[in-house]
Amino acid sequence: MIQFFRVYKTYPGNIRALANISFKIEQGEFVFVTGPSGAGKTTLLKLIIRAERPDQGEIVVNKRNVARLRHSQIPALRREIGFVFQDFKLLNHKTVYDNIALVLRAVGHNKREIPKRVRQVLRVVGLEDWVLKQLPLKLSGGEQQRVAIARALLNTPAIILADEPTGNLDPDLTMEIMDLLEKVNALGTTVVVATHNTGLVAQYNKRTIPLYRGRVAA
Amino acid sequence: MKENGPAHLLSIGTIAVAFFLFASFLLLPLNFASVLEAWEKKVQIILYLKDGIGEERIPPLTKELRMIEGIHEVRYVSQRTAKESFERDLAGYGGVLKGLKEGIFPASFEITVQERFRTPERIRTLAARLDGIKEVEEVQYGGVWLERLSLILYTLRWGVWVLGGVLVAIIVSVTANTVRLTLYNKRGEIEILKLVGATDAFVKLPFYLEGGLQGLVGAGGSILLLLVLFHVFSSKVAPYLSFYFGQLRLSFLPPHMIAWILGIGVAAGLLGGLFSLRKAGGI
Repeated sequence: MIQFFRVYKTYPGNIRALANISFKIEQGEFVFVTGPSGAGKTTLLKLIIRAERPDQGEIVVNKRNVARLRHSQIPALRREIGFVFQDFKLLNHKTVYDNIALVLRAVGHNKREIPKRVRQVLRVVGLEDWVLKQLPLKLSGGEQQRVAIARALLNTPAIILADEPTGNLDPDLTMEIMDLLEKVNALGTTVVVATHNTGLVAQYNKRTIPLYRGRVAA
Repeated sequence: MKENGPAHLLSIGTIAVAFFLFASFLLLPLNFASVLEAWEKKVQIILYLKDGIGEERIPPLTKELRMIEGIHEVRYVSQRTAKESFERDLAGYGGVLKGLKEGIFPASFEITVQERFRTPERIRTLAARLDGIKEVEEVQYGGVWLERLSLILYTLRWGVWVLGGVLVAIIVSVTANTVRLTLYNKRGEIEILKLVGATDAFVKLPFYLEGGLQGLVGAGGSILLLLVLFHVFSSKVAPYLSFYFGQLRLSFLPPHMIAWILGIGVAAGLLGGLFSLRKAGGI
């Protein structure tokens, strides 16, 4: 569950990113956060994972008051949330296997189980073992985003946040990735997709939180 | 570290040079002390007596001198002995020396000093005391040289700590910059690790280790280099110097000093890592 209550965020230089944002996303929901560039979508996602701190207001994520979280408690919050980026954010000098295994090592996963877990999560996103030894740039955009989603799913998160996940993909691959996110959502994971693509939103019958200039549009 | 190899090598090299200077400056006073010791062993105080002191005054004067604290041995050199010794030393100029009278060579006492009195300060005090004896015309000892040597030693001993402080600052700065470069190269990886919930310790530890390891390798390398140069110096150069200074007992840095240098290396490296991570802020 994610809940925002009268949240404000202003960046240095008096740049207002969000103002008076309140909403609630239930566990297992699939929600689009929409709006043009600069509407505050990315800031909203960053606030959920405490990459940014609100100036005012309360944010509750999985029963945690994110706004008041101590620094040492942030890793535990983030292990419950998977993040998917528009530009995939894969390490291009590491193989797909290493990209995923690195995350497992970082969260203290049992070393002997890492290879098994990497294969398992890649199968969930529809990728075969052959990709394991590939460098990300050898894969198509869709495959790279699948690897990124696989990485986001590693901790079996309760929430997946996706920031313009299809922004770099053609229409066919966009559908593939959206279907994959729907599949993940069907397994009980809350999915929040930030996108400026109104056409994409129109294709899915999901709840939408529209943002415009940092406010929830009426 | 392998991903940023050249920068690390450069950093380790700079640290090694800085520590080499520091260790060399530690080595200098250590061995200057041994030079000073060699000089101190040779130190003699010579008391030239006034003219006209009768031979009958010599035994009580000798006894009096032997009673003075710090004096080890007293040897009387009469005017005749002094003249004979002079003639022996300058035997090649026999003709020139002919006709010289015994009277122009003053009688003297050659005094050797007890070991614990062989410090510049104590010799100076003793010489001043001896100068107060009414039969004594002049007191001579290698005081000026000893004091100069002692001053150099004193300056070196303090200088090494000032230099040490400056060098540690350089090492911290060099390590911090190299670690910062690695941080920059790995910012993508760090961002991902932070987003998936890696703890601060997991993200930061490699950078601390990197800084500490650079400090350790740099300091260790400098000691190895110094050891090689020390062996070359003590086997090839020192024998020539012993002609001037007597038998030199050159010594390398003792194990506890080496341990300190390595420890300072690691600490400075860790500090460098800490500074770079502090500057990186968000990490």
